Amino acid sequence: MTMNPTNASLSGSMQSPRSQSSQPFLSVSVTDPVKLGNGVQAYISYRVITQTNFPDYQGPEKIVIRRYSDFVWLHDRLFEKYKGIFIPPLPEKSAVEKFRFSAEFIEMRRQALDIFINRIASHHELQQSEDLRTFLQADEEAMERFRAQESGIFKKKPSDLMQIFKDVQSKVSDVVLGKEKPVEESTPEYEKMKHYIFELENHLAEAQKHAYRLVKRHRELGQSLSDFGKAVKLLGDCEGNALGKAFSELGAKSETLSIKLQKEAYQILMNFEEPLKDYVRAVQSIKATIAERANAFRRQCELAETMKLKEINLDKLTLTRSDKVAEAQHEYNELKVESEQAAQTFETIVRLMNEEMVRFQEQKTKDMGIAFHEFAKGQARLANGIADAWRSLIPKLESCSSS
Amino acid sequence: MTMNPTNASLSGSMQSPRSQSSQPFLSVSVTDPVKLGNGVQAYISYRVITQTNFPDYQGPEKIVIRRYSDFVWLHDRLFEKYKGIFIPPLPEKSAVEKFRFSAEFIEMRRQALDIFINRIASHHELQQSEDLRTFLQADEEAMERFRAQESGIFKKKPSDLMQIFKDVQSKVSDVVLGKEKPVEESTPEYEKMKHYIFELENHLAEAQKHAYRLVKRHRELGQSLSDFGKAVKLLGDCEGNALGKAFSELGAKSETLSIKLQKEQAYQILMNFEEPLKDYVRAVQSIKATIAERANAFRRQCELAETMKLKEINLDKLTLTRSDKVAEAQHEYNELKVESEQAAQTFETIVRLMNEEMVRFQEQKTKDMGIAFHEFAKGQARLANGIADAWRSLIPKLESCSSS
Repeated sequence: MTMNPTNASLSGSMQSPRSQSSQPFLSVSVTDPVKLGNGVQAYISYRVITQTNFPDYQGPEKIVIRRYSDFVWLHDRLFEKYKGIFIPPLPEKSAVEKFRFSAEFIEMRRQALDIFINRIASHHELQQSEDLRTFLQADEEAMERFRAQESGIFKKKPSDLMQIFKDVQSKVSDVVLGKEKPVEESTPEYEKMKHYIFELENHLAEAQKHAYRLVKRHRELGQSLSDFGKAVKLLGDCEGNALGKAFSELGAKSETLSIKLQKEAYQILMNFEEPLKDYVRAVQSIKATIAERANAFRRQCELAETMKLKEINLDKLTLTRSDKVAEAQHEYNELKVESEQAAQTFETIVRLMNEEMVRFQEQKTKDMGIAFHEFAKGQARLANGIADAWRSLIPKLESCSSS
Repeated sequence: MTMNPTNASLSGSMQSPRSQSSQPFLSVSVTDPVKLGNGVQAYISYRVITQTNFPDYQGPEKIVIRRYSDFVWLHDRLFEKYKGIFIPPLPEKSAVEKFRFSAEFIEMRRQALDIFINRIASHHELQQSEDLRTFLQADEEAMERFRAQESGIFKKKPSDLMQIFKDVQSKVSDVVLGKEKPVEESTPEYEKMKHYIFELENHLAEAQKHAYRLVKRHRELGQSLSDFGKAVKLLGDCEGNALGKAFSELGAKSETLSIKLQKEQAYQILMNFEEPLKDYVRAVQSIKATIAERANAFRRQCELAETMKLKEINLDKLTLTRSDKVAEAQHEYNELKVESEQAAQTFETIVRLMNEEMVRFQEQKTKDMGIAFHEFAKGQARLANGIADAWRSLIPKLESCSSS
């Protein structure tokens, strides 16, 4: 399943490098998962193929080998550098051990990583990133060095990120308990956005849970049909003659349908559950960005507070003609620069977030529209297939009972 | 669902009494269930309408009111009188209390009773029965009297009936344990028949179990689709705009289809598959009861033959010793000889009837199950096409949402 990139100049990941238009393009694909290593150290490596006419890139095509932790490195670097932008989400870290190398899981992860890297490559800001270039171009040893350097520095503390969302629920109790709340924006727009994300996350989780259950029920129904078919076939063998033939036909048909249903369950998984999961991850990414915005706001406020105090102190020292005035003035000036930078950082984040929100909504509309479309078509196809299978049985049954 | 009667002269239960052909006909229908009485004594009564040109019957039409226990009376009388014939089976006695008066249960029972009485009415031997005539013609008070008289006399002891089927499994262990086995036929044909019935019963039970589970799974899928629809609708309300609309459409469609799946599908499987299978199982139970009767008759025949041998030896002894008990012994012997011949006759009749019945049973079953499967397959196809259309109707709406 391919997600359509927002950037209109990208016409897809399969653009031939020969079309040397003056239009800049950056096209990436993640392919050929291969299991390397042994035992607990085993991992999957992917071929990452870049086709581009960007300056500073080795064109027209460059192939590198990357693993999941390389993608994580890129994600964390971008998150740290581009505050305010919703960094495309990564698929989850490895699942239960025995599932980790199943064909299904590997393919799902490959697709998700391909989508991840293409979203970055088609984002007008993120595609300029040096870290992206490193990721797409550096040879494997260089990549490993970069990765080893940076681990640990950018570890997020989950409690920080989640605190502001707990507040959505606990506003009243905090006031009652007299807990000191961290400084936070309180504009209507900000509140509205937080609330929207909070609600969205809950509803997505519910929809995901039920989509998963739907897949499970399809599988169970398929299994039940298969058991039914076998039991009816046994009846047929017991009977012999026309009746036996009728039973056998019905039994065989049930088993065929069972296979159909189980396949469809898998299709629903791929075509609907995954987009839904992707949506959930995107919301997580937005939450992380909101947390960054809150951090920036807090810093701005703290610096503004500190500046006020320093200003008062400076005035005091000036009045008393203290010899500490020069030092204090110097500190104050430095603080003023920091404060202006912090305000700038915060405003940038707010501006970027507003643009990103619009982009997110448009992209989500498209992606989910496609997903629903496929879902409805798949269900219709399945139902028609089932109807045809039953109809094909009728002439055979007629010939059985008339003999 | 109507079962086609085997007797070719009956063209169906709806034959107009005006077609006064010289062909004898007997047509019965069980209709209009009505709840009578109160509380624990409440019960359902049915109208039984008979249209016939049989002699001794009040024609052209006679209507009586009957209840389930009247049908049971008739069944037990026929079972007692027509040994060797597979008496059509009755639907089960009342279910769980709260289910007993549900519309579904009442309708299923009415249909089953209608089928029951028509099978009797179309059976060339059973239709001659006096008890059938009583059932179809006697007024309600007379019927109640008949019923009260006979209760208890014909109670079957379940253990008797089941013993010979346990033997199918325990042949070896009996020999090992040195248990004394009751006298039983051991011809290849008899063994084959017993084995066939035993196997059939097992496989029917398995098929029934899985049909029931199939209905359950369809219900679960339907419920799951409904929950999914609701969750997606909530998502839609949260989003607003085109995306929200798309979610809402999908959600609504899912819920609609869910209802379709749960109700229609479950009903379809129930009526066109589960019920015919249950009927099949009951028929097999009836055959087992008849086999047990055959075994009883065989045993009686053997016992009498044994007793006769002993009496013959005794008679010879008494004759030789010129005892004064000779006349008495001779008289006893003669009586026993008559009984023995009757028992042999009874047994042979049962064997002959059973052979005919087996053929009739197979033919009837083939037809009935063929019809049931046919309806089942058609119903499934219809349902599936309906579901496909419902999903397809969603697609243009989704397309309009994502292009806006």
